[in-house]
Amino acid sequence: MSIFLQACVNGLLIGGFYSLMGMGQNVIFGVMKIVNFCHGEMLMVGMYLTLLLSTHLGLDPYACVPLVAILMFLLGALIQHTLITPSLRTNSFTNLLFLTVGMGMLLSNLALVLFGSEYRTIPTSYSQTYITLGPVNLSLPRLISFGVLIVISIALFAFLKYTTTGKQIRAVSQNPVGAEVVGINAKRIYILTYGLGTALAGVAGALLTGFYTIFPTAGSAFGFRALIVVVVGGLGSIPGAFFAGIFLGILETMVALFISPSYSDLIVFVTFIVILVVRQLIIIRRK
Amino acid sequence: MANTPIIEVQHITKRFKGLTAVKDVSFSIREGGITGMIGPNGAGKSTTFNMICGYYPPTEGRIFFRGQDITSKKAYDYTNMKIARTFQIMKPLKNLSVLENVVASCYFGHAAAKNEHEARERAIDILQFTGLYEKRHILSKDMGTPDQKRLEMARALATKPELLFLDENMAGLNPAETEAAIELIRQINQSGVTIFLIEHIMQAVVSLCESVIVLHHGEKIAEGTPGQVMNDPYVMEVYLGTKGGAAYA
Amino acid sequence: MNNNVKAVRAYRRNLSIALGLILLVFVLIPVFVKSPYVLNVFVLIFYMSTLSMAWNLLGGMTGQNSLGHAAYMGLGAYASCLLITKAGANPWLSALFAMVAVGLVAGVIFYPCFILRGPYFTLVSIAFGEAMRQFIINSSFFGRASGVGLPFGKDSLLDFRFMSKVPYYYVGLVMLLGIYLLMKKIERSRMGYALRTIREDEDAAAAIGINPTKYKVMAVVVSAMVAALVGFFYASYIRYIDPELMVQAKSTESVLPAVVGGAAYVEGPLVGGLIMIPLSEFLRAHFSAMLPGINMLMYAVVLITVIRFRPTGILGWYMHSKAKDFIDVKVLKKPPIEVLEAVELEKNRGKEA
Repeated sequence: MSIFLQACVNGLLIGGFYSLMGMGQNVIFGVMKIVNFCHGEMLMVGMYLTLLLSTHLGLDPYACVPLVAILMFLLGALIQHTLITPSLRTNSFTNLLFLTVGMGMLLSNLALVLFGSEYRTIPTSYSQTYITLGPVNLSLPRLISFGVLIVISIALFAFLKYTTTGKQIRAVSQNPVGAEVVGINAKRIYILTYGLGTALAGVAGALLTGFYTIFPTAGSAFGFRALIVVVVGGLGSIPGAFFAGIFLGILETMVALFISPSYSDLIVFVTFIVILVVRQLIIIRRK
Repeated sequence: MANTPIIEVQHITKRFKGLTAVKDVSFSIREGGITGMIGPNGAGKSTTFNMICGYYPPTEGRIFFRGQDITSKKAYDYTNMKIARTFQIMKPLKNLSVLENVVASCYFGHAAAKNEHEARERAIDILQFTGLYEKRHILSKDMGTPDQKRLEMARALATKPELLFLDENMAGLNPAETEAAIELIRQINQSGVTIFLIEHIMQAVVSLCESVIVLHHGEKIAEGTPGQVMNDPYVMEVYLGTKGGAAYA
Repeated sequence: MNNNVKAVRAYRRNLSIALGLILLVFVLIPVFVKSPYVLNVFVLIFYMSTLSMAWNLLGGMTGQNSLGHAAYMGLGAYASCLLITKAGANPWLSALFAMVAVGLVAGVIFYPCFILRGPYFTLVSIAFGEAMRQFIINSSFFGRASGVGLPFGKDSLLDFRFMSKVPYYYVGLVMLLGIYLLMKKIERSRMGYALRTIREDEDAAAAIGINPTKYKVMAVVVSAMVAALVGFFYASYIRYIDPELMVQAKSTESVLPAVVGGAAYVEGPLVGGLIMIPLSEFLRAHFSAMLPGINMLMYAVVLITVIRFRPTGILGWYMHSKAKDFIDVKVLKKPPIEVLEAVELEKNRGKEA
């Protein structure tokens, strides 16, 4: 029983990251109707930024989070402004897709060129600290990270719901032409959105560094899972992504516990395909 | 023969998540004629049209084609039944030339071309008929609205329909272009194609249609010859306003 | 009219000579080039461009962006390898079987994904590839992560096994040409028009009587079959396969020749492959020892640059360039399009009469 509970908690703690990634992906998809295939690489960039900031400025990884968020926002805004917005005009989904795929290739190979393929960690005084709560052992960095990302998720939700900019983002997602007609500057919203999505991925990366190794392809597993999360939770739905992320995290740890850790990837992908296919078939029936 | 209408719509209703777009509409289309459907924006014309064309099924009611129930037919079955349609928002195959646009249509439907020669030859005939022949090598996205509207008709005609649905085929045209489009529609009709059209331009409806159906708030409020409909007091009140009926373009 | 016919004949002849010369160059390369390294680059161009053509049938022609072509290729490679090693089947027969099996699997898996619009197909293609790779890593029948080797032995065409690279060069060239002609045939056929209509607008496709789902499934089946054939070729050439063959990055690599060359053209993957693969191999050979990742970094830069500044690819740019006008008019003596059309029409009428 205690193993089961422990797995549940571990699943929850890692699932929070999938949620955060999925929500960033969904904000972008909602507004521009493109799938951001370099989302995982953005997480990886966030990790290396944290590494740089903590080694050169001596900052604690968690103290880097706001800085990473700002830098990643700027990176996202720059990519949107110089590459994606001009390509949106060609109206070619193939091009937009491979633009983000190309960005992913560029970023992960740039990291390989700059930092090599070594696995790196950011040692902290508390990285091996555990808190015991009844039958469950909680790693302190995982717990802090989870707490921070829950706060960020709630803040994101409130931002989209209550602020003017958030409302504008939702307006553009629902009806880009209508939004333009009422005077919303779509280009500005695109930049804000992609910056926001990138910042969320970067923050996820920064939060991971407390207990996860840093390497050039560290993001791809999270990028994949962000895609699964958005499809299972509903393309464009922020709460859907949140719960799908938690579900995915728990599913993974359960498979690792009850079947075998080496099967967890396989089961995750098969579950994804089955959920998607079954849902499509139900929709067809209803039609 | 003339007694069985080519299309008979019986009590169709369409609800979208609680919003009733079309409510209990019935009418029929006479074979060989030109029937029009008018109504203010949001009256449910396009919804009705899309139901008859199989883009989505009605929530209630049935649709018959020459006595055969086609309510649940899929949109892609229609050209095999010799029915074709155009779209209000033009859907040219943007990155294909005008000729290729029409060749694509010639390959499908009840009289699908068997090989490329046949498809090309038929496409060229249709382009000459619709006055697009000179522009056949232009990419369709590079043409203006009047030509794209013509291309919509050419693509529909290439499937050799006996019944043609035209969805606001003259919106956005100037008076001279409208006149030309009216002439083209008349020619198509004279070649034996029954036509059902949605139109905002009264001049076109009056000069083309032998019968007009008026929708308002999803309900049919009048039916008859253009003359009868235009003089119907209710129609004048809700649709045409008090005067200047042709202003709804 | 008679002059027109002459002009068209002259143009056709010039075009045939030009294409024949290009083909001749490729046929003669192994006679003059003895370096195994260079020949290997050509074999790589042949099979990667073929894989990219397979992708392009779905991506460029139908507008359905797959990111799982490395998986179809890998499955084809595994299916044929296992038949050869475990059942002792003839390689050529096993290739046929692998193509049919992979085509069927692709059709069944992707049928439901095509009914709804949106990026579902792309996402499932990624998940499918990754699921298949994980399955193979976990299956002892498939040799787990260590892979499967094909037996070495005496040169034999029947067993598709050679020491030299030259036979693979020619078989690869034939495969490339065969698939190119198939794609060209599809483009001009009813299926090709259906696929391109679907790419432009699915409602417009349905309005002229095209069932979009049916044609998309046809496209994915043909595309997966060609990818499986490439997988068979790869396995026979390298004589060893492992699950790394199916990683996501390989699927991306298979797309690049098409997107860089011009996805709207059947020739796009050929042009893109001819440019991108030697470039990638050059970078790999000269820089990757010093700076790992530099070759893929350059690759990514080229891809992004082409998409940003030449969104229709190299061929799309060429088609509207002065260079094409010059080659058409001055070199090939191409008559005006009206003349070509008139002559073609006349010829067809003559045939029918």
